[in-house]
Amino acid sequence: MKSILKIALGIIAALGGFLDIGDIVFTTQAGALYRYDLLWAVALGTVGIAVYAEMCGRVAAVTGRPVFDAIRMRMGFGLGLVSLVASTFVNVFTVAAELGGLAIILQILFDAEFSLFVVLAAIGLVIVVALLPFGGIERVFGYCGLLMLVFLATAIHQGPDWGEVAHGFVPSLSDSKLYLYFVVGVFAAALMPYEVHFYSSGAVEEAWDESNLRENRLNATVGYALGGILACTLIVVSGYLFHPVGVNPTDLGTAALPAQGAFGETGLLLALGGIMFCVGGAAIDSSFAASYNLAQFLGWEWGRYRGPMKAPRFTVSWLLFLSLAMLIVLSGINPVEVTEYSVVLAVVALPLTYFPILMIAGDRSFMGEHANGKMSTTLGWIYFAVIITLSITAIPLLLMTNGGGG
Amino acid sequence: MQDRRRRPGVIAALVALGVSLILLSGCGDLSRDELNRGVESLSALAAQGELIASGVARDATKSTYARVMAKTLGGEAEHEAEKLADAEPSPEVSKERNAAVQVAGELADLFSELQTFPGDEHHGALVEKHMGEVKEQADAIVARLTGEPAQ
Repeated sequence: MKSILKIALGIIAALGGFLDIGDIVFTTQAGALYRYDLLWAVALGTVGIAVYAEMCGRVAAVTGRPVFDAIRMRMGFGLGLVSLVASTFVNVFTVAAELGGLAIILQILFDAEFSLFVVLAAIGLVIVVALLPFGGIERVFGYCGLLMLVFLATAIHQGPDWGEVAHGFVPSLSDSKLYLYFVVGVFAAALMPYEVHFYSSGAVEEAWDESNLRENRLNATVGYALGGILACTLIVVSGYLFHPVGVNPTDLGTAALPAQGAFGETGLLLALGGIMFCVGGAAIDSSFAASYNLAQFLGWEWGRYRGPMKAPRFTVSWLLFLSLAMLIVLSGINPVEVTEYSVVLAVVALPLTYFPILMIAGDRSFMGEHANGKMSTTLGWIYFAVIITLSITAIPLLLMTNGGGG
Repeated sequence: MQDRRRRPGVIAALVALGVSLILLSGCGDLSRDELNRGVESLSALAAQGELIASGVARDATKSTYARVMAKTLGGEAEHEAEKLADAEPSPEVSKERNAAVQVAGELADLFSELQTFPGDEHHGALVEKHMGEVKEQADAIVARLTGEPAQ
């Protein structure tokens, strides 16, 4: 039981990673368009992120080094800088999208000016981060994000044809470019680089050492499996309710409709609450990841555990990234579109994130007896091949499908 | 020197090409496919509106949710109506284009009504019924455009 309670880091990383604003809309759209056909892509992404998150956590626990340190060390300054610029670009837009998502939910709940809620959401995040320790942030957003379980209850309540649902886990490809675009999007959303950046830095924040390796495995398997299951339920409930009537859910609020259909106002409020905490958690994940990367690349003191006085440049950069994200949303850009584009563009940066992890985690001179075993090595390389394939196809598919618009 | 003399001509040609492309992108008839996509999105909006109105009718939603969603989706319907009304239809889809503009207008009105009465069950039930009818109209236009039977 104690072990289960300790997996908050995995839960917040998984919920924030799997169920951020773009992912919620992406999976809901995938269900609406292709019913249960894309469940396999979520499952594939879930195993992939679990494999790599386990490696990141293991490297952090054994060496005390987070992912970006490893990237800089393995790839040198030049490629490290490319990776930093690419990931910072994607991270800032992801923070913008999440802030926008928070504002949308607050607007739905309290019906006032959207821009007011954007500012309030940013201030709220600053207050939360200022008042709560790292572990507290994890627990608040991780456990409150579990309100998303209402979608699992909704799926059970709807009672879909479970045989058809199970069939959705069998991989299938189509010559439809839009279908392939959603395969890339759903898979990529599971492997967004900020997830592993946040997860490995979080492990250093919590001063993990070799005694935490079991906890790391639990985080990676249980936490990410939970995120994957919830992402699957979004596809199922959307496929059940939206697909037959032809709804195309392009708004975050629409994602909550199935829960309302099943459990009325209570279901709606639980769904909105769950989305709010997931999106809020993702805003913290991605904004922290942006500051972690910058500080680790430039060799600054970093970490929430040090406090603002001992890591001033880290703290200021976090506030700057958050402010920049706020300005992006206030400029009127649609948060959902921003995050969908950032998910697909992030695919291009995936190899730069995951290749160094694979190299470091398998290096016996560095990791000693905790280096990758046969299973991790095999899965790691298989997934790396998939990542390379997707990174080559992502941009052409984005252009050919008019950004998923068909 | 020769290169320098050529440059203004090249630049002029590129500018002309760019301007032509920009102008061409804003012109041209509304094709059957484009109209079909527009009407399909109207049908999707109507289906979404029907679900939201159903929540209002059953007193199973939060009024702020119904209001904000109606405002957002109504804005999308209005935008689609403007797009369709502004477009120059090719002669063979002119009739369908006019019908689509009318459907988009009706849809925007229904969302407006939902936005005004997000907690009124009676209005919710009426809007739900009318949304269903508007969706049928949109599906019928799609059927005429594609030659496939309406869903």
